[in-house]
Amino acid sequence: MLRCLVPLLLGSLCLQAQAKPQLTQEQRDALASDRFWLTLGHYQPARWGGWRSYVDDNAFFLASNGGESPAAELSATLDGLYASAALGNDHVQCRYPSRTRWLREQLNLKDLPTPNCSEYNEWYEDIAPHSTVLVFPDAYLNSPSSMFGHTLLRIDSPETAGSGTSLLTYALNFGAMVENMDNGVLYAWKGLAGGYPGQFSLLPYRDKISEYSRLENRDLWEYQLDLSPEETARMVEHVWELRQVRFDYYFFDENCSFRLLELLEVARPSLRLTDQFPLTAIPADTVRAVREAGLITEVNYRPARERELLARAAPLTADEARWVTRLAGDSAQLQSSTFAALPRERQALIQEAAYRLARYEASGKARDSADAANSYALLQAINRNPPPALNIETPTYPEFGHESRTWQLAAGSREDRAFAEYGLRMAYHDLADNLAGFPLGAQIELGDIRLRQYEGNHWQLEQLELVNIRSLTPRSALLKPWSWQVATGWERVAGENGNHRLVPHLNGGGGFAWQPWDSVLGYSLATLRLEHHRDFDAPLSAAAGFNLGLLWRNPLGSLLAEGRSDYFDNGEVRRSLALAQQWELSRNLGLRLQASREFSQFSAPQTEFALQLRWYHY
Amino acid sequence: MKRILIGTLFAAASFNAFAVAPGGPGCGWGNMLFEGQSGLPSHLVASITNGTSGNATFGMTSGTNGCDTSGRLAYNGKPMLVLGSIMNELSEDVARGEGEALTTYAVVLGIQPEDRDHFAAVTHAHFSEIFPSADVTAEQVHAATLSVMRQDAVLAKYAEQA
Repeated sequence: MLRCLVPLLLGSLCLQAQAKPQLTQEQRDALASDRFWLTLGHYQPARWGGWRSYVDDNAFFLASNGGESPAAELSATLDGLYASAALGNDHVQCRYPSRTRWLREQLNLKDLPTPNCSEYNEWYEDIAPHSTVLVFPDAYLNSPSSMFGHTLLRIDSPETAGSGTSLLTYALNFGAMVENMDNGVLYAWKGLAGGYPGQFSLLPYRDKISEYSRLENRDLWEYQLDLSPEETARMVEHVWELRQVRFDYYFFDENCSFRLLELLEVARPSLRLTDQFPLTAIPADTVRAVREAGLITEVNYRPARERELLARAAPLTADEARWVTRLAGDSAQLQSSTFAALPRERQALIQEAAYRLARYEASGKARDSADAANSYALLQAINRNPPPALNIETPTYPEFGHESRTWQLAAGSREDRAFAEYGLRMAYHDLADNLAGFPLGAQIELGDIRLRQYEGNHWQLEQLELVNIRSLTPRSALLKPWSWQVATGWERVAGENGNHRLVPHLNGGGGFAWQPWDSVLGYSLATLRLEHHRDFDAPLSAAAGFNLGLLWRNPLGSLLAEGRSDYFDNGEVRRSLALAQQWELSRNLGLRLQASREFSQFSAPQTEFALQLRWYHY
Repeated sequence: MKRILIGTLFAAASFNAFAVAPGGPGCGWGNMLFEGQSGLPSHLVASITNGTSGNATFGMTSGTNGCDTSGRLAYNGKPMLVLGSIMNELSEDVARGEGEALTTYAVVLGIQPEDRDHFAAVTHAHFSEIFPSADVTAEQVHAATLSVMRQDAVLAKYAEQA
């Protein structure tokens, strides 16, 4: 104790004697432009030269112009390192352990004061960082907001690493901080537009599991990263510097995934991950980048509760499935003689499926003592007659799915006119795209633009789709989800004199989907549509209609057959039949044959054929 | 143990305006089985922004369930903190005789790897004693587990040290 105290005392007494190294301007600038220093300050090159930090919080910077000047911030930090140790937890060394370590190493600082950083030490010891896991909650079909997935980190201590006790670990999450509840639309808009600040938070990992696996029904992918204990420690040190620090949060680029890549670069400064995402950071792509950097050593798949329920119920007959529903609602049926007459191993499956269904239905609700007693009775039955372990096959890893942007090149004919078509889709996947790594029946497209060149070098914008989301979730004996779709943008439709008019539109629909066999998904949706068509009298016309379709997984790829009808308020009836067969050439290449026939009151039916090459790229 | 708890709680409070005491309303020690997850205020936007609402946190407080889990999550004399938050999973695992929550519980109780299968088998066989009703609290589950362990030749030594 005394040995610790003496240098401490001496330190504060001899404050004047402690000389902070006098750096020349050049030395300081060289240090301040070191990549690691820039990473610690989250600096990026500013548009008009110089630097700007992603951190949107003055409290993070020691220099008044620290947000724009890495050099000023470096000087201020260096001053702070030599401040009186009596500052304790407020000392720069306590607030910025990463900066301190780096500067100490770079400048070989041996005479620093030694403040007592009790808060930091306690926090750090509590986490006991040892190894790092990247966690990717996959997108969930029926939740558009989860569509791109999310990423977070799990920090394991030496005891929890590899011991099957990840329930005891911490999750490091970056997300928007929503202080007061705005209404849904405003909330969504602000989330996209950066209206909410982003912050890191550190939570028990089990809370995150509940949130994703139970409430949102998202599968979790856990990627063990090849980071040493020292590297993990370096990252966690920096996380302390970021506590309560506000970043701008933008949905597309400065999002959770981007921030986590920055942290990985702090952990291992030789990594170059953020450079790959100048425009957008889609979580699945960032996982891919981490995979390509050789950081992933092991993958663990944690299926969502809903998937477990469906897997448990999959081998049941229709009659047994009815028992599941009955038992989930009323456990007293366990005593009925008809149930008791079933083979014991079938009872075991039914009981457990019933328990899972009961819990599934109760998730997100407040405790109801009758429900709880019911579930408890099912648990007792499971205890008396436990089912065999549930084995769910691990699907294709999401990072092995096709890349997110798609270039499209097509040749085709419309009636008797030949055309070539050039397209780019910013993100991400449609119903017929290469399926590996994606769920069947999910479509999320953003920013899909197609230009068409008819013979005679006549160019036109064929389509500009802003958003096109379809979520076709099959109904089963146990679960009865809705399917729905929404799309908006510009597209070409029939007009006067055989013209193909470009119209802005907004449409949506809701209905049901079924999956009679694993490889077939059928759906039927009622739709509403608004559009502005120059050949219509009214500036805005509305239509009601329906979509019927069939998606078939075949050896080549996916086949989508679809019929659409729109009945407009002005009497126009627009219908179409479309067929598309994708041939999955390789992970990032597909060939698609498309045929359609369109019917309208403006003109005779129009037929179109096209052969399209789809290249999924970056 | 108490000292450590108070210490971390204090630390948490100093970087967070709010902090709920362990065993505070809606949380922790008194948890019953099948306590509902309090849903995120707006599921949709929460997952757009991956955000947490209002009481979002840093450090050792858990914001999503109104439940403060200050203090080390793991090990050594603090099984209660863990138990309260994994009651549902644990009850399922004990009923089935295996699972992650059961492993976690074994680890928290200090049971060595070679005895964990045995622990799983014993708790499975005594499910009705450990979870006598749907209204059992985490505290009761803990006490019942220890008493079951004491009656077992292999597990008794762990019950004593807990």
